[in-house]
Amino acid sequence: MARRGLGPAEEYDYLFKVVLIGDSGVGKSNLLSRFTRNEFFLDSKSTIGVEFATRTLKVEGRTIKVQIWDTAGQERYRAITSAYYRGALGALLVYDVTKATTFENVNRWLKELRDHADSNIVVMLIGNKTDLKHLRAVATEDAQSFAEKEGLSFIETSALEATNVEKAFQMILSEIYRIISKKPLSSSEPAPGPTGGIKEGKTIEVSATNVDNTKKQCCST
Amino acid sequence: MEKKRANDEFEPGPILPSQSVDRFEFIKQEQNSSEGLSTSRSANEHEREERRIRKWRKIIGVGGSDWKQYVRRKPHVVKKLIRKGIPDCLRGLVWQLISGSRDLLLMNPGVYEQLVIYETSASELDIIRDISRTFPSHVFFQQRHGPGQRSLYNVLKAYSVYDRDVGYVQGMGFLAGLLLLYMSEEDAFWLLVALLKGAVHAPMEGLYLAGLPLVQQYLFQFEQLVKEHSPKLGQHFSEEMINPSMYASQWFITLFSYSFPFPLALRIWDVFLFEGVKVVFKVGLALLKFCHDDLIKLPFEKLIHALRNFPEDAMNPDTLLPLAFSVKVSKRLEELQQEYEKRNGGTLPKAGSTNRLLQAIKHKELSIKPERSNCVQKDDPSPRILH
Ligand SMILES: Nc1nc2c(ncn2[C@@H]2O[C@H](COP(=O)(O)OP(=O)(O)O)[C@@H](O)[C@H]2O)c(=O)[nH]1
Ligand SMILES: [Mg+2]
Repeated sequence: MARRGLGPAEEYDYLFKVVLIGDSGVGKSNLLSRFTRNEFFLDSKSTIGVEFATRTLKVEGRTIKVQIWDTAGQERYRAITSAYYRGALGALLVYDVTKATTFENVNRWLKELRDHADSNIVVMLIGNKTDLKHLRAVATEDAQSFAEKEGLSFIETSALEATNVEKAFQMILSEIYRIISKKPLSSSEPAPGPTGGIKEGKTIEVSATNVDNTKKQCCST
Repeated sequence: MEKKRANDEFEPGPILPSQSVDRFEFIKQEQNSSEGLSTSRSANEHEREERRIRKWRKIIGVGGSDWKQYVRRKPHVVKKLIRKGIPDCLRGLVWQLISGSRDLLLMNPGVYEQLVIYETSASELDIIRDISRTFPSHVFFQQRHGPGQRSLYNVLKAYSVYDRDVGYVQGMGFLAGLLLLYMSEEDAFWLLVALLKGAVHAPMEGLYLAGLPLVQQYLFQFEQLVKEHSPKLGQHFSEEMINPSMYASQWFITLFSYSFPFPLALRIWDVFLFEGVKVVFKVGLALLKFCHDDLIKLPFEKLIHALRNFPEDAMNPDTLLPLAFSVKVSKRLEELQQEYEKRNGGTLPKAGSTNRLLQAIKHKELSIKPERSNCVQKDDPSPRILH
């Protein structure tokens, strides 16, 4: 399970696992493709199940590799996707600033996280599609104060115009980094399990990110 | 960018002539150059194909009138023929015959229209949101509010009313879309009913019911089969913490219609409709076998990538399918299903336990309408396009 980086290009100090959640159609997959490949698709296929991508970048002077799981947004799919919250250090909870219902549903997504994710997961609220100014239905201030109340960080983005996408990821990764680097790593701690960012050092050993292998978790409905 | 947005509101003009399409009318990707092969087929091959079509036509009979009898008399011949691929111009018709959907259609005149016109569905907005995200690279579905998108909407809406427990679930659009390239809306609707309600094989509605119970079962069965058929790879997967939900969910949820090359998906569907879902397992296992030596070397991330981007030669139906047919799974699939049910303390509906509507069909003699057309065309002007 433990392994080292695959040559110089693959070296990193930390490996973080992050999930993208939120209603269908809010732009999760395009935020991901914008962030990892600098691509955007006006008509992209809806996500079925889960997708996965990675990127390595500098955060607070450290090289961080982030593994991002993009999930199908439709409620019915949570039977499959919620297994992927386990072990995630961060969650990007996306809504569409032009669709009020996607913002109203944020509460349900937070509940999903409470039920399935690790309790100390860092959650960032993202209002996407700010380029559609004339269609805006959720005011920035409303989302901002909601985020404050819930203790989430908050940012608005446009995957289409590539506005704030990089910044959103930088913010959540820094936040995760600050928490991780403060926490002393002691071997007496319970095994970090599938969690991403664990170890610091010259040779990088990380456990593979995974979804739990315990069938019971995901398969009883 | 604002300009692009404006397209949302207005119908774009006719498809740009500059877009080149492949033989199945998908917009070509630049790299995808091998598709042109079919045009350079030799006269010899062409003749062989003609003979094949004539043979099929004879078996089917006028509008499908001889089909049932022939299948009853020579099931093995039919199985072999179908595994070689149904001629494209007969595909729509044969799919309706082997899936049992034609029977459903005949027994339920007017039902589809009723569902489309008079009923409303709680899923309408969900469906609309996904319409342009279903086969966005196919000419037929590309035009906003064009005939393709409208029929896709109608079929999905009708189904969501017909079966309110299932409603609409993302992924169903790819099934419906695939069908609509080969038959009319109403035919596509009944084929969807036949599949999900189990006209011939076990019902597959569990793929889309709350909790996606059948997806979970299939993933369980597939994981075990991988361990049994490719033990080394199975071992490697568990060491790398790869599980099938990471790569195979969409295989099952969309029955390979989501991301597989179209020519391969069609060949799989030919067999799937006749023989049932086991071919999906066979193809999945065959793919892993075909790529075994590469996959076994890859670490987690590269594995995930490889399992979503199989090489072109693996996706060639004439290579992959024979390998798939050589994989035996029927018995184990059944055992594993029982094991799964024991663990989870529930059973999913089996074939035959379907609703009365379908039960009735089994007792009714087939009567076939006069021939519509030997080749069910995708551009068959579908009279039931509404809205
Ligand atoms: N105008 C605009 N459209 C976007 C933006 N992000 C995504 N979209 C569009 O919204 C639709 C859904 O995007 P997608 O990424 O598939 O959403 P997902 O279901 O959350 O993964 C697609 O048509 C995208 O092109 C954005 O920032 N601005
Ligand atoms: Mg998506």
